[in-house]
Amino acid sequence: MSFKYSLEVLTVIVIVAFCAVFLYTSSTMNGAEFAGSDNVGSGLIAELSATPLENFHPLIPQWEPPSGEIESCLFALQAAFGGMLIGGVFGFWMGQKKKA
Amino acid sequence: MHIMEGFLPWQWCIVWWIIALPCLILGVYQLKKVLRADREALPLLGVTGGFIFILSSLKLPSVTGSCSHPTGTGLSTISFGPWITAVVCAIVLLFQSLFLAHGGLSVLGANIVSMGIVGPLVGYALYRLLRDTSVNIYITVFLVTALADMFTYVTTSLELALAYPAATGGFVSSFILFMGIFAVTQVPLVIVEGIVLALVFKYIVTLKPDILIRLKIFSEEKINAARSEI
Repeated sequence: MSFKYSLEVLTVIVIVAFCAVFLYTSSTMNGAEFAGSDNVGSGLIAELSATPLENFHPLIPQWEPPSGEIESCLFALQAAFGGMLIGGVFGFWMGQKKKA
Repeated sequence: MHIMEGFLPWQWCIVWWIIALPCLILGVYQLKKVLRADREALPLLGVTGGFIFILSSLKLPSVTGSCSHPTGTGLSTISFGPWITAVVCAIVLLFQSLFLAHGGLSVLGANIVSMGIVGPLVGYALYRLLRDTSVNIYITVFLVTALADMFTYVTTSLELALAYPAATGGFVSSFILFMGIFAVTQVPLVIVEGIVLALVFKYIVTLKPDILIRLKIFSEEKINAARSEI
């Protein structure tokens, strides 16, 4: 019988490698801010259109999270909702399988 | 992959909305049909949609010194096709534009086109190409996921380059600039996302192979081969 967990092992290796690359780049790269690529993209838009960044206004008024804490809270909620769905369904399937 | 609110001229917002809307309507129609035909499809939709919720909330650092998020659309694309995936993405993107100021209502159409339509469509084309070949299903899931994620960002670059052609070099040179920001950052992320979703697919294959066969996502022989393989 062949080894059953090769995909798991491969996944762990890839994730560890990803973290290692991050640690390496974050310690050696000067000026790396790890800002969102969305914002970096907006910076390029401002450059290309020769319009200062402050001159871009939402076309449709928009609520903004007042602070980074509140933003991360809402992001966590989004992930938690996804996690709930996944955990619930996998549990449901496991129960079905056991019953069958 | 978000285009931020206010950063796309209104003419382009309308163009992308016009492209997105028929796809969403088709998606809702297909969703109703799939769920009416087989209630067992609902849990599968929950799992594949759940990964879009989770992965699109994770902002991961990349080699370019900036952060970006994976899209997580691969599983849903393989299981339900691009149109239903577009509907799930629209829900996530609506949440992010209403509460997180990521994207916005006017640019929602453009963001749905990149994350929910073009990315999954390219991934789906690859899946259809590989489905009936002897390529291992986990490799198929990996490639489809990676490609769907990558093309989401290629599309974002395209949308921005169309709206903001460079003064010298025009569309092509600004497309290259935007690709440098969005696509290059994405390369390590698509590899991680691809392998993680391949692993998740392994668990779906182990726990619920019958639904994959019933929805004709992969043939019975391939599923059985995959179960004995890893």
